[in-house]
Amino acid sequence: MSPFTLEIAIGAVMLAVFGATLAARGTDRRWIAWVATLGVLAIGLVSVFARPTPPALFGMFVQDGLAIFAKRLFLAATFIGLLAGISRDGVACGRRAGEYHLLILSSLLGMLVLSSARDLILLFVAFELMSIPLYVLAGFLKSQAESVEAALKFFLVGSVSSAVMAYGLSFVYGATRTTDLARVAQTFAPGQPLLLLGLLAVFAGFAFKIAAFPFHMWVPDTYEAASTPFVAWLSVAPKAAGFVALFRVYFEGMGDRAAAWSPIAAGLAALTIVGGNLMALPQQNTKRLLAYSGIAHIGYMLVGFAAASAAGMAMVLFYLVAYVFGNMGAFLVVEAVARSERSEATAALRGLAQRSPLLALAMLLFLLSLGGIPFVAGFWAKLYVFWAAAAAGLYWLVLVGAVLTVVALFYYLVVAKRMYIEPPDASAGRIRPSATLAVAVILCAIGVVALGVYPKPIVMAALRIATPLF
Amino acid sequence: MTLDVGLPLLVLALPFVAFLLLAIVGPLRRTGRGAGLVSIAAIAISFGAALAVWAREFVAERTWGWIPADGGPIATVGVLVDPLSNAMLVLVTLVSLLVQIYSLAYLADERPGPLGRYYTYQSLFVFSMLGLVLAPGFLQMFVFWELVGLCSYLLIGFWYERPAAARAAVKAFWITKLGDVGFIVGIVLLWSATGTFEFTELFEQAQENALAVPGLATIMFLIYLGAVGKSAQFPLHVWLPDAMEGPTPVSALIHAATMVTAGVYMVTRTEPLFALVPEVLTLIAWVGAFTALLAATMACVEGDIKRVLAYSTVSQLGYMMAAAGAGASPAGFLHLLTHGLFKALLFLAAGAVIHAVGTNDIFRMGGLFRAMPQTGIVFVVGTLALAGVPPLAGFFSKEAVLGGVWEAHLTGPFLMLALTALLTAFYMFRVVFVAFFGRAHAGGHPHEAPWLMRGPLWLLAILTLLVGIRFALGGGETHAEAPGWLPPLSVGLAAVGFVLAWAMYQRRAIDPVRIAVALTPFDYLARRRYGLDGLYAGLYRGIILGFSRLIGWIDRYVVDGILNALTALTLRAGDGLRHIQSGRAQDYVYGVAFGVLFLFVWAQLWRR
Repeated sequence: MSPFTLEIAIGAVMLAVFGATLAARGTDRRWIAWVATLGVLAIGLVSVFARPTPPALFGMFVQDGLAIFAKRLFLAATFIGLLAGISRDGVACGRRAGEYHLLILSSLLGMLVLSSARDLILLFVAFELMSIPLYVLAGFLKSQAESVEAALKFFLVGSVSSAVMAYGLSFVYGATRTTDLARVAQTFAPGQPLLLLGLLAVFAGFAFKIAAFPFHMWVPDTYEAASTPFVAWLSVAPKAAGFVALFRVYFEGMGDRAAAWSPIAAGLAALTIVGGNLMALPQQNTKRLLAYSGIAHIGYMLVGFAAASAAGMAMVLFYLVAYVFGNMGAFLVVEAVARSERSEATAALRGLAQRSPLLALAMLLFLLSLGGIPFVAGFWAKLYVFWAAAAAGLYWLVLVGAVLTVVALFYYLVVAKRMYIEPPDASAGRIRPSATLAVAVILCAIGVVALGVYPKPIVMAALRIATPLF
Repeated sequence: MTLDVGLPLLVLALPFVAFLLLAIVGPLRRTGRGAGLVSIAAIAISFGAALAVWAREFVAERTWGWIPADGGPIATVGVLVDPLSNAMLVLVTLVSLLVQIYSLAYLADERPGPLGRYYTYQSLFVFSMLGLVLAPGFLQMFVFWELVGLCSYLLIGFWYERPAAARAAVKAFWITKLGDVGFIVGIVLLWSATGTFEFTELFEQAQENALAVPGLATIMFLIYLGAVGKSAQFPLHVWLPDAMEGPTPVSALIHAATMVTAGVYMVTRTEPLFALVPEVLTLIAWVGAFTALLAATMACVEGDIKRVLAYSTVSQLGYMMAAAGAGASPAGFLHLLTHGLFKALLFLAAGAVIHAVGTNDIFRMGGLFRAMPQTGIVFVVGTLALAGVPPLAGFFSKEAVLGGVWEAHLTGPFLMLALTALLTAFYMFRVVFVAFFGRAHAGGHPHEAPWLMRGPLWLLAILTLLVGIRFALGGGETHAEAPGWLPPLSVGLAAVGFVLAWAMYQRRAIDPVRIAVALTPFDYLARRRYGLDGLYAGLYRGIILGFSRLIGWIDRYVVDGILNALTALTLRAGDGLRHIQSGRAQDYVYGVAFGVLFLFVWAQLWRR
């Protein structure tokens, strides 16, 4: 298999969607969504057979274990997100179905290239290819003022961050006279101020993408205003891509010198965990709550990053997988409830256990996973990143993380209480999610439980990927 | 290799599938009988597979890493298939199958909802018990050990509207938990000393004398404590008689044939480890024999037919433990198997009687043999087997136990066990004579149980006979070393017990009351269960509840106070932080600028 097979396949699906858009008539364009969804599914299945290949394009493009792992994760997340978006009256299936799916697919293409980029220029281009469609998608509900406002803020903060990042990249080039990341890693020594300054600025750009505190401000507004299936995907896939790029730039080939990034990541992690969890506490809107809790999760992943070791990186990869299923699932349940309730407040979840036992059970599993309760995926994820951090001597950070986990449990369990203990409104009937949405939720639930009961395969795969990078 | 564990895994998986089906698919569970049929179908196939595994004498081990860590997995799960687990698989699935079929008729009056719940628990129990049996290491064994405990709790309290049942369920749970605390501490200590939970590895280390663990005797004693709780050994035996509040089929399955034998099974399974600590083994033998005798005396004065059988179970578990302690664990395990058959038979027959007359009190029965001859016959078969009359199954295994204890030069336990043999025959024939013969009491017309109940009874009775005959023909592989005077002695003891019971309760030649007067101290103590229940109740009320009140006070006023303050602070902080999120785009860009600045300053501060 050529190293570019998956990217070319995405291009083919994009062409198919484009062609379909030209041919489409009428307002019900669900079939375009199906073309994109099944296309992504097919590429996902093909990616199972992807094997590492030698670097291509003069070493700019690497298809190694990390890239393949990340690409599978992006494809899985995109498939679930697209599947959940298919509905008769959803924005993704109306007159602008073609645009919507083309934008998602281009962003996906950006992620795939990003996870393979080992060159500063390619990295930046892929980064922008991933980001710019997201700005448009955030404002896709263009008749709603909040959506446009949120998209604008997202774009504004994103451009500033990109500018900082590009500025940093110019310093890196200035200091090393190369755009090849492998050579950058060879020349890097913590003592060089210019290179350090550049890499720090680049770090800020990534911090925006993964939404670490205080680069997170766009997150709650954007999540609240954009369409939920898109947000479910936005909350996981670009974050995962951001982490993969972080690993490429800051870990690959660094060896022991990677420890130089430990204090910075640890500081950012502590800020993000504290900020995200505390700000999630007073939220009354489930999407905003999940937005802040997602920020806190980024903090926990940064804990693993701060360990600056193969184990730490592997555990972040595992965390990403657990987070993809748990967080997407939670957003999709919100979508299912919102479709019948027209409300995304936590109050809309009242008595969900009686209105839809399946949705309530799935939501409970996602919340437990996000909260870190055994035996669902999130428990191992948290345990493993703490483990890696403790092995690197970051005990204070583990303590901060563990204490704030208790705070997180509080707001997750408040939602669980609304579903299971509070009675539904008298007028409320049963909630029946559409088949596609139900399948997407069930897929997430299976992922959360399977990883929770038997985490070994993913953990071992992640360790195998992480070890040779150091 | 894969093929070899495939079939045992199937045995394990089917009840679990049934459990999942019943637990998740609400409408199926609420059909009641339909749920029962699903559960029975699963366990029937499981039983067939278990038979195949047993007949083909599988030996295999397969483990999978479960909780991974850098240096190899911390814990593994898997299956360990050997003659020991094979025999146990057959026993568990067989008795479960028969009990579940029997329950269809026994619980026919239940509403569909609770009946479905019953079968859900039953499937979970079978799965847990099989998982325990197949466990290749201590950790998996402990997990399933707790699961069977949970099922036992749920099933004892099946009629949870009855206060007595709810209380008994809680009592069973927390008394066995006392032992489990020792068990888990022992397991963890052993693991921290050897770095493994796995039996095979531990046995290899034991064989090479590489198991030089400081305080091994303490560790093994702690592990044995788990068995004390689960297998109702003195002084933690008090929960088992109360557990009779559950439905009778549950008593037959869980509190006679399978779960309570888990302790014996565990000691037998880890026999190479216990062999390293002879002092603990001796203790096990003494405690076992003492339990056997103590429980037998209590059975002699009990009037509730199920409680008589419960004390008898405690007593026979004492036998098994004594054998294990004497280093004759094969004999103990053999007794476990035969006891599983005939005790399940006795319980199910007792259930048929209770079903017919509507009372547990043997003195309000009488003359039942004429009304329900089939139940009477199978009950007598079970009684003969339990009393140790050749050529029934119980005779051979009991003799093997006695022989093993004698061989180990444990004279004290041997004498206690011999006396127990006499008492066993006495109290069992006491039940037979009082309930099945003697004067019939007026009121009600007891009738034979339906076929669904009689079928399992007959099957168990025939199996009890057949197993005995097979031993009689096949010669004694296990009791070859027993001295020649042992068989006549044990038969003689059983005969004395029989004659005593006959004289007291059938011929009325001896007045039981006069015997009771003559033996007043024993009678008094046995009727009051040696004060142990009262002692525990007192301890519970005095110490534990007192302690709880103290802790409760501290919790309410000190811990809660601190926590409330912390919570208020946290919520305030969250509310305060929310104001950062002004909604103004320029503030968001400031956020980015601040973040970049933070990165630069922080990196400067921590430069190495």
